[in-house]
Amino acid sequence: MANTVIGSSIVIDGEISGDEDLVIQGTVKGKISLRESLFVEGSGVVEADIETQNVEIAGRVTGNIQASDKVELKADCRVVGDVKAPRILIADGASFKGNVDMDVKER
Amino acid sequence: MAAKDLVTSGNTVIGPSILINGKLTGDEDLTVRGRVEGELSLTKTLIVEPSGVVKANVTVKNAVVSGVVVGNIQATESVELTQEGRMVGDIRAPRVIIVDGASFRGRVDMGELPPGRSLPERTTPRTQLRPTVRSLPAPPPRPAAATTAARPGAATTAARPGAAAVAKKSGGMPGLVRGESARPTPPPPPAPPVVAAGSKKKVVLKKKK
Repeated sequence: MANTVIGSSIVIDGEISGDEDLVIQGTVKGKISLRESLFVEGSGVVEADIETQNVEIAGRVTGNIQASDKVELKADCRVVGDVKAPRILIADGASFKGNVDMDVKER
Repeated sequence: MAAKDLVTSGNTVIGPSILINGKLTGDEDLTVRGRVEGELSLTKTLIVEPSGVVKANVTVKNAVVSGVVVGNIQATESVELTQEGRMVGDIRAPRVIIVDGASFRGRVDMGELPPGRSLPERTTPRTQLRPTVRSLPAPPPRPAAATTAARPGAATTAARPGAAAVAKKSGGMPGLVRGESARPTPPPPPAPPVVAAGSKKKVVLKKKK
């Protein structure tokens, strides 16, 4: 269970940073940078640039996403923005508009 | 830890390594174990845990501060600084609780009306105190009357009106009353020593009581 939860009625306008998992059920605008996983749940709305290790999105995200490991767009998500990560998963039913960059330097 | 149970039941938690910089608003309880800077407004309760740091102007219904708050807190209900709470800033709330051990620097404004409500509650115990105060002075007069001197009679009668006057005054200022009501009880004993110079009997009676 993640330590940090932004509840559904919470609105944050600004910057969030940290070293632990973050679950968003509410609204965040601005910027998010984590060293762990970000979960945007069904009720979550993010209008922010995201920099993390992992992202799982079931809600709405508008902004650029950069992950050092993995980005997962789940069935009912709506994402608008560019996604950059070595592993990107887009589930059936997900709605996505933007560029995908899986550029792996290891090649 | 009841506090932690409440915390887990609340939806929103800012974990210890999280920093939020900006504006945070919401309609639910918020627990801060990390850091929040900027502006914070909730329609429910803010809980700042010991590891939590809030550097923000805070507008909430209730605030419980066990961590650090730098900034002003305006609460529609209450603000509580617990034993571990540290705060610098102004508090504006109808109920402000600062526990022993808490550290606080700033102003407190409890408004005007709320203290008026609490007045009747506090005055009732005081009225109970007053009769006991009066009953105590009552016995001394007997010995005084037995071997009456001019001084004892004057002293006792003077003491009663004095206490009554205090009681009347006390209605206005609840906080001060307790201190005054405590004082009236001693006066009866002091009166005896003055009387005591006249006769030993009085002294003996007082000791029995």
